[in-house]
Amino acid sequence: MSSTTSPTKQFSEWQHLIGDPWLLSLVSWLPPLCFLIIYLIFSQGLARDLSIGIVDLDQSRLSRAMTRYYDASPTLAVKESYPSLQEGIAALRGGAIYGLILFPKDMEKDMIRGRVPEVEAFYNNQFLLIGKLVKSSVLGVHTTFVAQIDTVKNLSTKSPVVGQAMAAAVPISSQMKPLFNQNNNYAQFLASAIIPALWQIFIVMTTVLCIAAELRREGLASWLGLRPVRALFSKLVPYTLLFWLHGISYLLTMFIYLGWPMHGNLGYLIFCQLLTVCACQSVGALLFFLSKDPARSLGIAAAYAAPGLAFMGVTFPATDMTLPARMWRNLLPVSHYIDVQIAQVNYGAPLSLSQPQLQNLALFILPALITLLLAYKTVHTPRRVT
Amino acid sequence: MKLRELVRYELRAVFTNHALLLTVFGGVLFYSFLYPLPYAKQLPREQTVVVVDLDGSGLSRHLIRMVDATPQVDIISQAYSLAQAKEEMIQNKLAGILVIPNHFYRDLLQGKSPTLSYAGDASYFLVYGTVLEGMVMAGKTLAAEVTVTRLLMSGQAMELAKQQYNAIGIGLHALFNEAGAYVNYVIPAVFVLILHQTLIMGTGILGGTDNEQLKSGTKLYWQNRSASTLLLVRTAIFFTIYVVLSLYYFGPAFQFYDIPRLATIGNLLLLMIPFLLSTIFLGISLGTVFPRREIATLIVLLSSMPIVFGSGFVWPESAIPLPILNVLQLIPAIPAIKAFVLLNQNGAELSQIIPLVTHLSLLALFYGLAAYMLLRWKVRQKI
Repeated sequence: MSSTTSPTKQFSEWQHLIGDPWLLSLVSWLPPLCFLIIYLIFSQGLARDLSIGIVDLDQSRLSRAMTRYYDASPTLAVKESYPSLQEGIAALRGGAIYGLILFPKDMEKDMIRGRVPEVEAFYNNQFLLIGKLVKSSVLGVHTTFVAQIDTVKNLSTKSPVVGQAMAAAVPISSQMKPLFNQNNNYAQFLASAIIPALWQIFIVMTTVLCIAAELRREGLASWLGLRPVRALFSKLVPYTLLFWLHGISYLLTMFIYLGWPMHGNLGYLIFCQLLTVCACQSVGALLFFLSKDPARSLGIAAAYAAPGLAFMGVTFPATDMTLPARMWRNLLPVSHYIDVQIAQVNYGAPLSLSQPQLQNLALFILPALITLLLAYKTVHTPRRVT
Repeated sequence: MKLRELVRYELRAVFTNHALLLTVFGGVLFYSFLYPLPYAKQLPREQTVVVVDLDGSGLSRHLIRMVDATPQVDIISQAYSLAQAKEEMIQNKLAGILVIPNHFYRDLLQGKSPTLSYAGDASYFLVYGTVLEGMVMAGKTLAAEVTVTRLLMSGQAMELAKQQYNAIGIGLHALFNEAGAYVNYVIPAVFVLILHQTLIMGTGILGGTDNEQLKSGTKLYWQNRSASTLLLVRTAIFFTIYVVLSLYYFGPAFQFYDIPRLATIGNLLLLMIPFLLSTIFLGISLGTVFPRREIATLIVLLSSMPIVFGSGFVWPESAIPLPILNVLQLIPAIPAIKAFVLLNQNGAELSQIIPLVTHLSLLALFYGLAAYMLLRWKVRQKI
């Protein structure tokens, strides 16, 4: 690749870069800034103190104890008490709280009489992730609270041994073990996928813009000149290196500096990043040569790269996507890359397992070849006309 | 007469700008099909799980069948050890492991409370949650069966025994998106974002094109006109286009994807006014400073992900650092996403989103003033 680049051409590309403040920002401070913002949004890692409301129709010692128990949960915070269910639900609708707990009338009395009262919990499932967090915390708090009561009850009525009383209350206990993401830090995982998605946007957009700059400067035909392959390579290789550097630096920041768990081979990932950068550039160049208009090709590149995250299969599993969605997914280099990243970072999987992804990334040589073809055509067509 | 002329020129500038048309009409239409595409199945179902049955009793096989019968989990193989299961999970990209401990049946009979271990791949939140939901449900049902049987054996009546396995029950109710459907979760928020982003791109591309032409020395139709008239005409054109596009999103597109529409048309329009105005004014302001038209697309695109994850529908606002949260409030999409989702999906009353409407109105006022000042500066600028 580097054999075709002449040092003078490369040198002039660096000069162009320094002369164009927008382009320079795109390859220097803008990517780290955007990555940092995403990191900061998720920096807390775990959601804490999600506000919930209480409707206490019982007003007993039991209901107050339960309220305190809910409030003590790290994920939940009792924010407001409502006099009626209607008002509580209205607050839930208005977004003031994420969840609502209703203690029924005569709850304590019923429990003592052995009539099994039922606490009602409502949660905002429109905000799916938050809703799931609220639901599982409410369930967790309730189960532990009730197990305590049951154990005490069993101790007084059935077996005087704590262990047995406990077992009678909870006949099968269950242990949940998140594999590969031990502290269940979803934010960390999400951020480590959003950043590559943003990275892909940067690479594709910059590729389009840097070729567009050439169009504005002296026109495509004269820039490509007699040796379009050489012109294209010497144009793009400096950006390959720059974006590779950005990729390496976010990887090192996340898994070395911040010390996020990493079980695989960092060197292998860095190698895959190089392939990903080239693949993105190859698509970006093709998108430009298809329309040869800066604004229009950038618009198409935006449409192509922007929804990348949705297709990566991190938020919604790729295996549950329909065929057209999986086809579109395959057209995005970063979705192959993220498979490798997850396999390495989370599973520490053997390198051979990621071979299909590497092959897919290598296939992005095709858009590059079509680009070269189009570049040749650009050079030769006007000459025939004049 | 002069106004009509300006309107004609503006319309021509908008409807002959290919990049603008592609972004606004093409973008809005294209995204309305592309964005919901990955979520078409709505819920992850039948996640593949490997089971490690260290007990091998009738009861453990019963449990395996129960887990397999849940819609969330599909048990595809059995492993003899945890290590083997883990390896199989990585090789075949399975979603979880269920471990039934040694002496599960015996311990249960002896009242020793054996522990079932569920392990899921926590990298994928949704998959993890789904697998656990299925496994926990089956485990709970079995636990309830066991307790009831035990109570029955100790002489309780069936009805009473069924009730009494816990001192206090809990009923969990999912509201607003009962099934937890993924399209209904993502699309209402993302569509607002798409409207916002394409609108800023559109107005920005128009401004950027003007700047390109000014730089090359072309005299433009709006030079030496009144800035307020220009602002008014430009705003009116984009407002009209986007009312139509918004109605397409909130109407037929939502209907197509079966997304609930709880807001009345009147309330929706009422919210649309400050949302569209603040966004148009922000776009026009940015357009005056973009030296080239493609810069608009660039800036807007880069802001998309911080907006999505900062708007509070994925990640709770309370967990976002305050300085970032405060800066984000300057972007119309942030209050707008919240307001539209609350109004249309949760069925909030108009009075409950008044703070958000006020927020948007203040932004409209602020960016309206900014757009006016910037345009006035542009209009008076000498070539």
